[in-house]
Amino acid sequence: MWSLCWTYSLNLSSVPGDGEGQSRWCLSQVKGAIDDDVAEADIISAVEFSHSGELLATGDRGGRIVIFQQEQESKNLPQGRAEYNVYSTFQSHEPEFDYLKSLEIEEKINKIRWLPQKNAAHFLLSTNDKTVKLWKISERDKRPEGYNLKEEDGRYRHPSSLTTLRVPVFQPMDLMVEASPRRVYANAHTYHINSISVNSDNETYLSADDLRINLWHLDFTDRSFNIVDIKPANMEELTEVITASEFHPLQCNTFVYGSSKGSVRLCDMRASALCDQHSKLFEEPEDPSTRSFFSEIISSISDVKFSHSGRYMMTRDYLTLKIWDLHMESRPVETYQVHGYLRSKLCSLYENDCIFDKFECCWRGDDSEVMTGSYNNFFRMFDRDAQRDVTLEASWENGSPGCSLKTWRVCAGSRRKRSEIGVDCLDFSRKILYTSWHPQDSIVALATVNNLYIFQEKPN
Amino acid sequence: MLGKGLKRKLEQEEENDVMSCPQDASPTCYWLQRQTVLNLSLLKLHSRPGHSDPGLARRVLITNTLRHIQDELRGEGGPIPQPFPSTGAPLGVVDGCRERPADCGVEVQSEGSLTPVSRLEEDRHLLLCLSPSISRQQPPSSSVIKDSFTSALAEIEDLCPTVGITTLFTTEMGRSLTSDPNSRQTHPDLSEMNSGLDSVSSLSDSALSVFGHTPSLLTDFSLDDFLFTEIDSLLFDNVPCGSSLSASSGASKVVSMVTDDLVKTLTGYGNGGTSQSALPSNQTFKLDLNELDHIMEVLVGS
Repeated sequence: MWSLCWTYSLNLSSVPGDGEGQSRWCLSQVKGAIDDDVAEADIISAVEFSHSGELLATGDRGGRIVIFQQEQESKNLPQGRAEYNVYSTFQSHEPEFDYLKSLEIEEKINKIRWLPQKNAAHFLLSTNDKTVKLWKISERDKRPEGYNLKEEDGRYRHPSSLTTLRVPVFQPMDLMVEASPRRVYANAHTYHINSISVNSDNETYLSADDLRINLWHLDFTDRSFNIVDIKPANMEELTEVITASEFHPLQCNTFVYGSSKGSVRLCDMRASALCDQHSKLFEEPEDPSTRSFFSEIISSISDVKFSHSGRYMMTRDYLTLKIWDLHMESRPVETYQVHGYLRSKLCSLYENDCIFDKFECCWRGDDSEVMTGSYNNFFRMFDRDAQRDVTLEASWENGSPGCSLKTWRVCAGSRRKRSEIGVDCLDFSRKILYTSWHPQDSIVALATVNNLYIFQEKPN
Repeated sequence: MLGKGLKRKLEQEEENDVMSCPQDASPTCYWLQRQTVLNLSLLKLHSRPGHSDPGLARRVLITNTLRHIQDELRGEGGPIPQPFPSTGAPLGVVDGCRERPADCGVEVQSEGSLTPVSRLEEDRHLLLCLSPSISRQQPPSSSVIKDSFTSALAEIEDLCPTVGITTLFTTEMGRSLTSDPNSRQTHPDLSEMNSGLDSVSSLSDSALSVFGHTPSLLTDFSLDDFLFTEIDSLLFDNVPCGSSLSASSGASKVVSMVTDDLVKTLTGYGNGGTSQSALPSNQTFKLDLNELDHIMEVLVGS
């Protein structure tokens, strides 16, 4: 039984191994404490695969980053289950206090972005509301032994006892993974940073807050260039803010930013130093029949992601996922309803603040599928080619590793089947905001409140 | 999780009706929901999570929702009844040029200058300012917000017709810091620090200079005159130092500080010079005066 989507086709035979109610996906691992009592600091706030997919980074509200590494041996196992184990844990950001404004600056990690790997070490950018940091994660599995002047325990030898000289040699030691902050980029943001994006030139990156976007060089921490500034002269006239921003994956001069009014602007840095004038404006005219008090809030772009090919761009707003062709600004080429049944609940969702939740979205490595999270620990996958979508649940109770996930359907009234759930029974405190897709393999990682779930597609 | 105090099914049907075809829905349902959204929006704007800075995006979205409703209310006709009579020039007008009126004097032209004061004031859920008049030129959002607040907080309305209430949003907008628009290379730490420090010191300087003028204002007027007439007319019609105030850069904020201090000291003068005596009516007024007093003390360091 497939969930409702905007175009509807049943094509079960095209995907072998699919039965009714069962999906191709199965639970691989769950990370984090299985507790009802969740500490605020343990709530996951960022999930990101590295460019090779070998490493998976998560950030939490306590400012910590935990990196998982895929076990190389398990990739070759018959069932091909990918095992991710803890590789490194470190404190990325600490809470700070802005004395001028008498405000706390939260240490919560807002975004993590990996740099493409150039040598044995791994680099990632992590940011909280105010400060971006570049971290180097390196391995040490050898250490020099046989010093002339020092004993093995570090004590210095008496010079008179030295009669011969030897060359120290590297001896193997237990693997130690070190994370060190290589750069701390000076606070250049008055408002909260919502996005960072590494450029394809591998030298620069952008950071975006509510009103400004800054361009940095990775090597220089004391200066950045402002490339977008939408702050009005009179703050009373402010009606629109920047909500998400990303560099084009292939063209180093192109980036996009989404706004709270549902529009996305594409800018070309070659046009001028300050990109306040957009090159393209992607905006879909509003459907007057669905106009409500909350039309603007639900149109606010919560995430924008380029496809790997660089030809398409995906935007997430509160209720839908839209895929845009960069050559066509007037309307998206594909629109997917994530949880349209919430349209009648917007007033309640406004009251409990859920309407402001910022859901992320991600592309499959070959751009054939997209994924995003929803409430009740549901996540949705949309197959663009087959025009089919599925609703799955991230739950460690239902589903043991290796066994297919059951698909769900949300119905407006009371449920009639076991695979259904009524919209009034949804748990809005359990939401999946952060998702990431392995760049090559059929592995997805997503975060519920404090658990990291890793799902894998069953091999054919 | 769902609407408090409203029956789930009924609300769902109403929302369905409203969402699907607003024009066909019964006017009562639509009005009810609009009022709900209006109240929710006001609640959200004025309740703060506490220690950390709430997001700008959220506030902008809520404010836009509010504005949309207010535009509708305006469009539907009937002027929204103003609780406060608006007289000639509002407090902020100096030198004939139009400053933004009456945001408790917290809104200033040089941004970032009143950060400490606004920070202190934002701890209150209500921003009470002693701006005497609410002119029609004020941003539309203020008037409806005042309506809701006056209906909800009748005792403050009774207190003093010259007391104005402003939105948290506008003051927060005002206090945000800008970087120099001419330089695209940002040196934010340094510039923000400097502007903050400079403006705090300039505020205390100008506030101090103003205090010296206040006694001369009060001798000619009784307590009742202050409470029930427009303070701005008193200031600009009768005060010789009004023009000198206009010369200072942070004029609007300085003048409002004057009114703060005026109302504070008038209790003392009206009761024979004892600054601690309470007004014969209204404990709430005294409570807020104490809060403002505290703010002034912190600012001036007295």
